[in-house]
Amino acid sequence: MDIAVLVKQTVDMDQIKLNDENEPIMDNLPLKMDILSKNAVEAAVQLKEKYGGKVTGIIFGTERSTSTMKEAYAMGVDEGTVIKGYKKSDPMVTAGVIAEELRKAKYDIIILGDQSSDSYSGLMAGLIASELEINVITNAINIEIKDNTADITVESENEDVTVETDLPAVVSVAQEINEPRLPKVMQIMMAGKKNINIVDGNPKYEDDTKIISDKAPDSQRKKIIYEDGKGIDEIAKILKVVK
Amino acid sequence: MKALVFSDEPKNAREIITYLRGKMDIDAVSQEDKELVEYGADTVYFYRDGFVDNLSKFLADHIVKNKYDLVFISSTNLGRELAGLLSFKLKMKCMPEIFYLENKGKNITKRFFHGGKTVVEEESNLRMFTVSPGICDAEKADKKSEVRNVSLEKSIYKIINVKSKETAGTDIRNAKVIVSIGRGLGSQENIEKVMPLVETLHAEISGSRPVCLDYKWLSEDKQVGLSGKKVRPDFYIALGISGQIQHIAGIRGSKTIIAINKDKSAPIFEECDYGIVGDLFTVVPELVEKLKK
Ligand SMILES: Cc1cc2nc3c(=O)[nH]c(=O)nc-3n(C[C@H](O)[C@H](O)[C@H](O)COP(=O)(O)OP(=O)(O)OC[C@H]3O[C@@H](n4cnc5c(N)ncnc54)[C@H](O)[C@@H]3O)c2cc1C
Ligand SMILES: Nc1ncnc2c1ncn2[C@@H]1O[C@H](COP(=O)(O)O)[C@@H](O)[C@H]1O
Repeated sequence: MDIAVLVKQTVDMDQIKLNDENEPIMDNLPLKMDILSKNAVEAAVQLKEKYGGKVTGIIFGTERSTSTMKEAYAMGVDEGTVIKGYKKSDPMVTAGVIAEELRKAKYDIIILGDQSSDSYSGLMAGLIASELEINVITNAINIEIKDNTADITVESENEDVTVETDLPAVVSVAQEINEPRLPKVMQIMMAGKKNINIVDGNPKYEDDTKIISDKAPDSQRKKIIYEDGKGIDEIAKILKVVK
Repeated sequence: MKALVFSDEPKNAREIITYLRGKMDIDAVSQEDKELVEYGADTVYFYRDGFVDNLSKFLADHIVKNKYDLVFISSTNLGRELAGLLSFKLKMKCMPEIFYLENKGKNITKRFFHGGKTVVEEESNLRMFTVSPGICDAEKADKKSEVRNVSLEKSIYKIINVKSKETAGTDIRNAKVIVSIGRGLGSQENIEKVMPLVETLHAEISGSRPVCLDYKWLSEDKQVGLSGKKVRPDFYIALGISGQIQHIAGIRGSKTIIAINKDKSAPIFEECDYGIVGDLFTVVPELVEKLKK
């Protein structure tokens, strides 16, 4: 089975500091694999282990994305392409670039994260399915492959629904689908030596959206913190109003 | 201006219609919901057995035929699928996950970014949006909507199995007081130890993502945060919750936030009004004692 997995690289958001204007300082932040992309990689590798085949990783990123592809290799991805040219989050542009790469080979299933940990747009699955004109199912927590179909269990708040779809299909995964593996040292070393296919992307950004501001919401919180066993009386007094 | 609202969750449709009401004319497409006609939309279209394929076909035709200026899609699984598909089909770029909209010739929108750490305010001519659930409290209008039922084509997807999940009744978004638990509670059995506080305050209980999703100490509809419910009680009491940005994104609407955490450097103390650094298992019983007096 030919499996493609879409992997996003993001900055390490826990490391973002704010300047005096409450704006994020984005320079020199470490990069890492998007959390849901990790679940996508794990799901793809598990499918290969269960049904055989090959996993191809695709990142639309920059020169610096090879570190994330190596991480994907260490987790079990067989080969990968880094498409250069990523400038900013624009789901339609990203989907266009990735779809073009996906058209170069025939994949039975294309796996990605449901919503990425930074932009959270969640549009990628539908966009790519639309470009490739294939089926789409999102927020999967289980994937079973039959001959030319797959049974996919989708999670929603009130119910888990299992749906049958023809393949090829685009399937996005929820964080609950699996616990991504921690690669062993040996695998990390081997991954470092493997070839990564690097290509120039051809993204067509139309700058029709202007950012007015990007700031941490003002916290008007009082931040009165009690230590050493204090504060219970005060807080009880504040809460008395609801009683 | 004329807008179309879509949601497969009628309660989200009610919120979005309420939010847009008065600013533009609204039609809505939703699963059948008797109440939805009371929120001020001109026409509501009800469908059954909607999947991404038959709905995207219907919506694409419907949007073109009725020349909607703006399209708002509630951010649910199905909503996001549809937004992606329609985006390319109709060549309409989509602004994702907005929780604020103002129209000044151009559209000014706001959404969370960097995983909830910041809010970006953007100006654009985009006409399609996914709307983050909980954009406002739904309120009924005087006007009743006209109802039309639409019949969709048969879907190519087949449902094989449906397993209902336990959801424990009340919607935490309506709660006035919330006691919320995090991984610091240690185990499901320990919920008993905080119940006296919940009961004394007539509060609802909610939890962080690990508590609701990974450990299932609480049902999933009790999850608060970026990917859970956005709540806005008068009091939000966080017990053993570290306060990662994705959690904070769900509680910013709270009037007063109280945190109890044994780690003085926990980020929740940067986002609370009152905090106690201490072991929740000693602080909570003492607090209950005081409240009962
Ligand atoms: C895409 C994405 C979406 C997400 N969406 C959400 C979301 O919607 N909601 C959400 O909550 N998270 C979400 N997360 C996860 C989030 O990043 C954090 O992992 C999560 O909020 C941590 O939960 P926690 O505070 O319960 O656990 P922890 O971070 O482990 O914190 C436990 C806290 O308990 C304290 N503690 C331990 N014992 C005691 C004691 N005896 N007394 C007092 N304090 C004690 C500890 O000091 C610690 O601060 C999301 C993550 C991603 C990537
Ligand atoms: N630049 C990218 N390169 C590769 N995959 C991506 C990229 N952006 C998003 N994805 C995939 O799409 C998923 C959803 O992302 P998003 O649409 O940003 O919420 C991610 O979890 C990734 O699997």
